[in-house]
Amino acid sequence: MELIIGGAYQGKTEYAKAAFGLNDGDIFVCDKDGNVDFGKRCISHIERFSFWCVEHGIEPADYFFEHAENAENLIVISDDISCGVVPIDKTERAWREANGRLLIRLSKESQHVTRVFCGLSQRLK
Amino acid sequence: MKILISGGAKNGKSMFAQECAKKLSEPGHLWYLATMEPHDDEDYARIARHRNERAGWGFGTAEWGRDIEAHIDEADRKGTYLVDSVTALLTNEMFGGMSGEINFAAPDKTASGLIAFSETAENVVFVSDNIYCDAAFYDEWTEAFRSGLAAVDRRLAEVCDVVAEFCCGQIIYYKGAGLL
Repeated sequence: MELIIGGAYQGKTEYAKAAFGLNDGDIFVCDKDGNVDFGKRCISHIERFSFWCVEHGIEPADYFFEHAENAENLIVISDDISCGVVPIDKTERAWREANGRLLIRLSKESQHVTRVFCGLSQRLK
Repeated sequence: MKILISGGAKNGKSMFAQECAKKLSEPGHLWYLATMEPHDDEDYARIARHRNERAGWGFGTAEWGRDIEAHIDEADRKGTYLVDSVTALLTNEMFGGMSGEINFAAPDKTASGLIAFSETAENVVFVSDNIYCDAAFYDEWTEAFRSGLAAVDRRLAEVCDVVAEFCCGQIIYYKGAGLL
């Protein structure tokens, strides 16, 4: 697995496309629903999937590894949502934490972890 | 030399940027490009605090809060400029119009103006802000500002020789680590 993280709008998807030769058809862009195509090579905005999980009382890390049969070959992209003020809304608070737990699990399972900042990449693992 | 420094608030960006600019500059050609347009007492107090922090460093001050491209002719060709900050400049360009509307074309204009300016002056140190890592769903204007500032940062990062982030006083280089 490959994990790519970074702030919003930093160029994570462009980095993934260039680094792994992906085109738009290889990338599943999550929405805030439970519909994730784990058959794609790359899953982006996994934090939106986490939001849906939290709304439905599901631990995203558990759901992810139960459903992603091909996890070791996936490229996962997440916005880093960990650095702002603690959200006032209870669901958003739980979301921030659950996404963090998911990223720690993904990071542990990943061969490489890459952070993208202003379009430039940095290898964390 | 072109340098982009970003990071969270109060992480050491400005002090490092000042030191960089000072080190790169020739005597008499060190400039602080102040982009914030003050609106209230809090802004004036912030400006006074920054002026105190710069006192004795030898900075001249240019106060250009918008339309950087219109000031390029006035720029000191041998000058080393500290642009503090990209964020304030974009704020003025995006929200500073008389209409009370948001200018969606501002990020492109701001990036182009800053890049053209950086090609005129000898050295430019840009200071921006990392506002991209929080867990919140924003309104359309705030989201447009976040994506707009990111677009400016990324265009600057492309042309800069050094790109670095500050985190609790520590520097993380993304580009040009050995150049400073």
